[in-house]
Amino acid sequence: MNWKIWILIIAILASILALFPFNFKTGIEIASVPTNSTAYEAGLRTGDIITAADGKSVSSIDDYSAVINNKFPSDNETKLTITTNHGDVILFTKVPPQVSVKNIEKTRIKTGLDLSGGARALVRAEEKDLSASELNDLISVTSQRLNVYGLKDIQIRPVTDLSGKNFVLIEIAGSTPQELEALIGQQGKFEAKIGNETVFNGGDKDVTYVARTGSQAGIYGCSNNAGTVVCNFQFAISLSEKAAERQAALTQNLGISTNNTLYLDKQIDLYLDGQLLSSLYISRDLRGQKATQISISGSGTGATSDEAYKNAISEMNKLQTILITGSLPYKLKIEKLDTISPLLGKKFIDTILIAGVAAMLAVSIIIFLRYRNIKLSLAVLFTSFSEIIIILGVSALFKQNLDLPSIAGIIATIGTGVDSQIIILDESKTNTDISLKERVKRALHIILGSYLTVLFALLPLIWAGAGLLKGFAITSILGISIGVFISRPAFSEIVKNILKD
Amino acid sequence: METQETKESHTPNKYSKAYDKYYKIILIIPLLLLISSIGYLAYFHSQHGDFIKRDVTLTGGTSITIFVEKQINLDDLNQKLSGQISDFSVKELSDFRTGKQQAIVIDTSIGSTDSPDYIKLKSFLETYLGHSLTPENSSVESTGASLGNSFYNQLRFAIIISFVLMALVVFVIYRSVAPSSIVVLCAFADIIMTLTLVDLMGIRVSSAGIIAFLMLIGYSVDTDILLTTRLLRRHGEINHNIFEAFKTGMTMTLTAIVSVVIALLITRSFSAVLEQIFLILTIGLCFDIFNTWISNASILKWYVERKK
Repeated sequence: MNWKIWILIIAILASILALFPFNFKTGIEIASVPTNSTAYEAGLRTGDIITAADGKSVSSIDDYSAVINNKFPSDNETKLTITTNHGDVILFTKVPPQVSVKNIEKTRIKTGLDLSGGARALVRAEEKDLSASELNDLISVTSQRLNVYGLKDIQIRPVTDLSGKNFVLIEIAGSTPQELEALIGQQGKFEAKIGNETVFNGGDKDVTYVARTGSQAGIYGCSNNAGTVVCNFQFAISLSEKAAERQAALTQNLGISTNNTLYLDKQIDLYLDGQLLSSLYISRDLRGQKATQISISGSGTGATSDEAYKNAISEMNKLQTILITGSLPYKLKIEKLDTISPLLGKKFIDTILIAGVAAMLAVSIIIFLRYRNIKLSLAVLFTSFSEIIIILGVSALFKQNLDLPSIAGIIATIGTGVDSQIIILDESKTNTDISLKERVKRALHIILGSYLTVLFALLPLIWAGAGLLKGFAITSILGISIGVFISRPAFSEIVKNILKD
Repeated sequence: METQETKESHTPNKYSKAYDKYYKIILIIPLLLLISSIGYLAYFHSQHGDFIKRDVTLTGGTSITIFVEKQINLDDLNQKLSGQISDFSVKELSDFRTGKQQAIVIDTSIGSTDSPDYIKLKSFLETYLGHSLTPENSSVESTGASLGNSFYNQLRFAIIISFVLMALVVFVIYRSVAPSSIVVLCAFADIIMTLTLVDLMGIRVSSAGIIAFLMLIGYSVDTDILLTTRLLRRHGEINHNIFEAFKTGMTMTLTAIVSVVIALLITRSFSAVLEQIFLILTIGLCFDIFNTWISNASILKWYVERKK
C-alpha cells in the first residue's frame, strides 16, 4: 500500500487513541468537591471514581442518588461509606456529601460551555486599562477567590481583543454558583471600622484565620417573618497582633452604652465595598483589650426556609472568601456574563450527530449520482468520515472545547472537505491526453489555491471578539488542512486503485 | 466512454452556439442584481444607520432561554411582556423530530443582569411561569452595550481583513490583474447579494452570523479558482473547458449546499446560533453558483477570447 494511505490510517488510529480513554471501569466520577467541605476533609477528590455507596455497587448517577436520597437529610449524624478507586471513605453527616458527580466520560471530547452548561464571564477593570502584570495580579486574586469559595473546573485567562483591550475570561464548567457575579465582579474591599477609624481589612495581613466549618461557623437559627424567612450565620475569625492592637487603641476611650450596659457605646461596623453589612456590639470587658478572636455574623433571606438557609450559607461562604483573599486590586466591570443551563446541550448532542451523519450520507449520494460508481462514493464517505475523526482527535488532544460555532465548522467541513476530492476525481478522469501525474499536479494547484484563500479568510477570526468565536475558525482550519494534507493525498491514491480496476 | 463524451462536447452544439452569442448580454443580469443590491444596502444604511440589523450579541443585551415543562403560548407571553419591557423579542426552540416546544428565548436590550430592569423582568417571568428561574432550568447570556459594539466593530474589521487577505492570495496565485480582479469581484458580489437577502428577510445578525460571512469569503472563491485555473492553464475549446469546470464546480457547491441545508433543517429548531450560520452559508452558496457560472465564466470567456 502507498505511504500516503498509511499516513491517513496512522492519523485515524492516533485520533481514535486521543478520543477514547479506553477505560472500562464502572462507576461514576466525582466532578467537583469544594475544598471546605466535609467530603473533602474525609478524602474525596475530584476525578475519583465512586464504585459503591454503603456497600451497594454504583454504576450510574441514579444508583448513587438512590442510596443518598434514601439516607438524607437525616436528623442525626449518619455514617456513609463511599467506595472509590482509592479505597473506602467514611463520612458522618446529616446532609448529602457536597460532591457533584457525573458519568465517567466515554470520550475525551470536551464540549464548550454552550453545550455542557456552566458560566462564562468577561471582566475588565473599570477605570483603567490593565497592563499584562496587573492583569496577572487580577487573575491570581480571582482564581484564589473562586478556589477558596470551593469552585472547581475553572479556567481563568487573560484575553486581548483586536482593539487592544485586555480582559479576564473566566469559565466555570458545570453548574453556576449563586454568588458568581459577586465573586468575580465585586472588588471585595472589606473594612471593619469603629467610627471612622479602620480596625482591620480583609486579607491575610489583618485576618490570620477564618473558621469555615465545625463549631465555629454555621447557621444558628432561622426566623419566619410574614412570609420571609431569615437565617442568621456566624463564624469566627482571628486577627493579627497589629489589628488587635488597633482595636485595643480604638476601644480605649469608648464609654458604656446607655441602652445596654453590657456593651460599649460604639459598635464595630463591617463594610463591604462601602456598604454597611452589619454592626457588632463590643462587650464592655473588651475595652482597651487586644481581642484576636472576633465573630462575624450576617443573614440570608428567602421565601422558604430551604431557600433562606441556602442563601445564608452562600452569603457566609462569600464573606469568608473575601476575608481570606482580601480585596481585588481594581474596581471591576463584568462586560459579559453567560450562565448556560446544561439541559439543552444534553439533548442537543444527539441532534448534532444526526445532522453530521445525514450530511455525510447526502454528500456521498451526490457523489454517487455524479460518478455512478459505488466504490468512489464509499471512498468519499470514508475520507469525509476520517477527516471528522481526525478533527475530533486533534481537538481532544489539545483539549480544545467544542462549542456550537466549532461544530458548525465541522459540519461545514463535511460539505466542503470533499471539494478537493471532487477536483482530483475530475482531473484524473478528463483530459486523458496528458499524463495522470501532470493532471494530479494541476488538481493540486487548484486545491492549494482554494485552501489558501479559505485559510487566510478565516485567520482574523482567531483574534476578533476576544477569541470567543475562534472555535469556528479553528475547526474549519483544521478541517481544510487535514483535508488537503492528509486525507486528500490518500484519497488520490485510493482513486488511482479504483480507476485501475 | 470518457473519450466519447469529450468528442461530443468538442463539436459545437446549439447550446454552445447560443452561449457564444449571448454570453456578454447575460452579464447584464448579475450586473443589474449587483447594482440593485448595492442600492438597497445604501438605502438600508440610510434608514437604519448600518448595513445589517444586529441582534443582542452585537448591540449588547440579554438573552434568556427558559426550558419549559408545559407549552407556553408565545402570543400571550408577547402581549403580557409588552406591558413590562419595551424592546424585546420572543421565539421558541423545539425538538426537530416531534416539534414539541422545548424552550422559549427572550431577547432584550437590558445590558446587565444586576440592573433593576432585569430583576423586574425576571420576577415577572417567574410569576408568569409559576416557578423560579435557576441556572439549571434557564440560560442567561448578557453582553454589555460597549462590549457588544466593540465585538461588532472587530468582526467588521475582521471581515475587511479577511477579504483583503483572500484577494491577496488570489493575486499571488494568478499574478495577473484581470483574472484575479474578476475572482475578487465575484466574491464581493456574493457577499453583497447575501447581505441584501439577509436584510430583506429581516434577519437580526448575530456574532455567529458574521462568522458565516467570513467563511463565505473563503468558500465563495473556491469554484472561481477552479474555473479560472482551468480556463487559463488548459488548452482546448473554451466552452468545453467551462462546461467541464461547471460539472466539477457544481458538484463541489452542491455537496456543500446539501450538507449545510441538512444541518440547517435539523439544527434550526434547536439552536439559533447554528440556524443563522447555516442559513447564511446556504444563501451565500446559492449566490455563488450564480456569480461563478454566469458572471465569472462570461467575463473570463470574454477576457480569454480577446487575448487570442
